[in-house]
Amino acid sequence: MSEDPVADLIDRVARQDRAAFRELYSRTSAKLMGVLLRMLGQRAEAEEALQEVFTRVWLRAGRFDATKGRGMTWLIAIARNHAIDRLRARPDEAADAGPEALDQLRDASPGAEGRLIALGEAGRIADCFQTLEPDRAEAVRGAYLGGLSYADLAARHDVPLNTMRTWLRRSLLKLRECLDA
Amino acid sequence: MTTDDIPLTPLEADDALAAEYVLGVLDMAERSAAEARMKHDSAFADRVAAWATRLADLDDAYPEVAAPEDMLPRIEARLFPVEPPPARRPLFGWLAGLATAAALVLVALALFPPAAPTARLVATLGEADAALRFEARFDGQALTVTRVAGSAAPAGQVQEIWIIAPDAAPVSLGLMPGESLAVPYPAAPTGWTLAVSVEPEGGSPTGVPTGPVVAAGVITDL
Repeated sequence: MSEDPVADLIDRVARQDRAAFRELYSRTSAKLMGVLLRMLGQRAEAEEALQEVFTRVWLRAGRFDATKGRGMTWLIAIARNHAIDRLRARPDEAADAGPEALDQLRDASPGAEGRLIALGEAGRIADCFQTLEPDRAEAVRGAYLGGLSYADLAARHDVPLNTMRTWLRRSLLKLRECLDA
Repeated sequence: MTTDDIPLTPLEADDALAAEYVLGVLDMAERSAAEARMKHDSAFADRVAAWATRLADLDDAYPEVAAPEDMLPRIEARLFPVEPPPARRPLFGWLAGLATAAALVLVALALFPPAAPTARLVATLGEADAALRFEARFDGQALTVTRVAGSAAPAGQVQEIWIIAPDAAPVSLGLMPGESLAVPYPAAPTGWTLAVSVEPEGGSPTGVPTGPVVAAGVITDL
């Protein structure tokens, strides 16, 4: 049908096709589990979140619009959004935002971000990260991959929260300029 | 560094906000506000989608980790229960008093059979004489929840509609923008519960109901 088999499966799931749901699960669950584990840092919570994510996929498949993006991007957005909601709802979110706590909790060492290149950071984004100052590029990656909040990032880079926000917003707009060029 | 001091234009600020939402750096209140805006501001929703696509190259860095083998059966058991009679369905711990509500829904449905075949009544939320009451109808394509008695939430709050599969966590269908909320939906799942909670403006900050549940009812196949 299209060049995006995951999108085709989501469209079938929207029509209550349970076989398609099973196939979608077998194709994508390992990736989504990887996303949730990376962001939440705890296996039991990641498993619970995975159940919730696939429940949402079944319920919301009708809202997927293949003209707005790829199927896998949509699925990862659901997983990331759910993980971020869980992270932001953690009662100790602000209190525990010290760099040591983060390193333990979320594999947030510089090495972990460095692995990106080894894993083949693809497309233009690798080039475009080069246009940013290294610590700002790392902040963008850390936020996206690890679900770090502004409070986490400010603590980790040892700058006031508002400074971090100004940095990051500027960096994002610069990144867009490069990516859209 | 000097560019950091120049304020962003409104368009830049909008785009930065969309990017911040996708990155996930916003706090809970800001996230909820952004999500609420996406629902009625399609230009902003498109900005969010564009950022999701821009940053999707980073997804390659997420590893693949096998989920436990019994995970799919667990999810399926949650989504596709063997159909028991709705009235006997075991109830959900998070919502006390639902048994009564469900029984009353059945009574209400028996007393007031659905009239419009194009959008049949599938659930009544709230007792027949309740001050606040909602009806859910299904027309084959969309599930429409309408407030048939009572008024909207007080200023600064909003009514949020939830659907709950048996033994599963509630999933938001959206906020009541006015008196009615229509959600594209492939079927009216018999035995599932619809509930309305009162949430802060912008909707529940946590993705689960945080405020009082003001009405609930079970979807019934008539």
